[in-house]
Amino acid sequence: MAKKPTPHTQGSSRTGGVDLQEVERLLEFMAKHGLEEFEYERVGFRIRLRKPFSQPMGFSRAVSAPEIVVAGVPGVAASGHPGGAVAGGASGSGSFSGTFASGSSPSGVAPGEAAEAGRAAGEDVHVVKSPIVGTFYAAPSVGGEPFVKVGSRVDEGQALCIIEAMKLMNEIESDVAGEVVRVFVENGQPVEYGEALFGIRAHRKK
Amino acid sequence: MFRKILIANRGEIALRILSACRELNVRTVAVYSEADRNALHVRFADEAICIGPPRSSESYLNIPQVISAAEIANVDAIHPGYGFLSENANFAEVCEASHITFIGPAPDAIRLMGEKDKAKEAMAAAGIPVIPGSAGVVPDEDSAKEIARDIGYPVMIKAAEGGGGRGMRIVRSAKELIPAFRTARTEAEQAFGSPNVYMEKLIERPRHIEFQVLGDKHGNVVHLGERECSLQRRHQKVLEESPSVAVDASTRQKIGKQVVDALKKIGYSSAGTMEFLREDAGNLYFIEMNARIQVEHPVTEMVTGIDLVKSQIRVAAGEKLSSVLPPVEFRGHAIECRINAEDPETFTPSAGRVTAFRVPGGPGIRVDTACYADAVIPPYYDSLIAKLISYGHDRAEAIVRMQRALDGFVVEGVKTTIPLHKRILADPNFVAGKFDTHFLERMPAAAAKAK
Repeated sequence: MAKKPTPHTQGSSRTGGVDLQEVERLLEFMAKHGLEEFEYERVGFRIRLRKPFSQPMGFSRAVSAPEIVVAGVPGVAASGHPGGAVAGGASGSGSFSGTFASGSSPSGVAPGEAAEAGRAAGEDVHVVKSPIVGTFYAAPSVGGEPFVKVGSRVDEGQALCIIEAMKLMNEIESDVAGEVVRVFVENGQPVEYGEALFGIRAHRKK
Repeated sequence: MFRKILIANRGEIALRILSACRELNVRTVAVYSEADRNALHVRFADEAICIGPPRSSESYLNIPQVISAAEIANVDAIHPGYGFLSENANFAEVCEASHITFIGPAPDAIRLMGEKDKAKEAMAAAGIPVIPGSAGVVPDEDSAKEIARDIGYPVMIKAAEGGGGRGMRIVRSAKELIPAFRTARTEAEQAFGSPNVYMEKLIERPRHIEFQVLGDKHGNVVHLGERECSLQRRHQKVLEESPSVAVDASTRQKIGKQVVDALKKIGYSSAGTMEFLREDAGNLYFIEMNARIQVEHPVTEMVTGIDLVKSQIRVAAGEKLSSVLPPVEFRGHAIECRINAEDPETFTPSAGRVTAFRVPGGPGIRVDTACYADAVIPPYYDSLIAKLISYGHDRAEAIVRMQRALDGFVVEGVKTTIPLHKRILADPNFVAGKFDTHFLERMPAAAAKAK
């Protein structure tokens, strides 16, 4: 795997955050040079980007997703997009959908760790993850209205979607009350264990 | 042939199956737990699906998750590897019900072999020698005398409900029998709440010998010779070889034929292993059958030149043995050392990050592994990190090649059993082929520190 440092240290030394535009530039840089893996470090900031291994299928996104690890920065802010924010950034095969995480783990990042990043960003975005492997359905019936959309207000325990596994329809409920700010998956899409389904901005508890 | 196979396993065997699929031009789907996100089977498979958290019961052993993954990936077969779901008859049935081919024996055969007593009965009925003993509980002293006379001394009296050595008595002559029978019953009563005991022939200095078999779905079965697996610790195999120095060509032929005939009778298909204990006098007695591909299959592959995993997949797809296998011939000698992430003296698991990993190569050396430098050995699964296999035109050459390869195998960051294997390979009794299943217990641990 090609690893190349970059002299690119442009931009002020933001120690408290990650600039999404900067990440996009890095992704373009990777695509342009055909890099599989990319690590970039400067004082107080380290990022690692990894391209999917030759996986033409699009369904296992968390697998085929590059891991974007931001480390060494306490309380790193990952912007308002806790996951999948850089989709379509680069690369001919397979789309990028990144996950951000604070902390110093240099290796794999679970899709759900995006939640921590969301919280760290001060947005209090909670990510509802798939508890099972199966097929995601946004609506209770074919062609029906989705359970929720971006902007929907949900209560704790409210059904968000259905995941079909072994011919059984499993309703997935929200574990927080709040507003749906993101839907990570599309109707009919297969999902794996731990895959991010919804981003919900939780109502602040008084 | 299958279009796409889901590999319901991890580690080196997942990669081994992947290799076989690649050579057969079959697409692969890996499944993995959150602890294996960076594992090589995930990386090298055509597709990969996370099926759960690290704990096996919630991921690799979780039947609904594995089947769901197979359904969303639209595979036509599942290879279970060894361990995990490989000998789960219920899983094999769920596969069948889901119209997915389970690459293994039929559910009934798995179930039969899973119940040791029934397996033994079935094999005895099919003409395989089993350890002579009482048919169930020995009711009284008179029966005890009669049974012992029939099977011949020495005999072993064992608690029916027991285990772990309690309620066990070895009896070497008729005059010891009745006192030992009484003591065993009392011990059994105290330890297990039941005085029931049974009796079987004591196998002295036993060697563990097993026969590799392969059956197709058309009623054909072949055996691929034996493996010697006597070097064990707490019933875990440590080093295996093929052929066994204790099995000559006529024994191989005789037992091989019995095994093939018995398995044809029960209609066994897929790869499997018939395990025997060999007593000092040379007789082999059936103990159990493993209805799966085994960890030590490479030694058989080396001496037969047959790719067992590919063959297993091809017969599962319905091919006949006659089209899958060349004529079976045995050539040379192969040894496998299981390299575990364990303390070589205490055998306590040594999980953690592997900081350096250098595998040996050169003539006659094969390494099956899913490990790499910077890999993390998770604490959740078994400790096997590599199988080091040597092949030579005879046993002596296989031994020196293994010694040379062990010296060139570098693993840093975790403890491994490499030093133990070096000691075994240097042991004069091992080199002379003189050992039994108690060999490792007797081997002095201190010798390791001597050098």
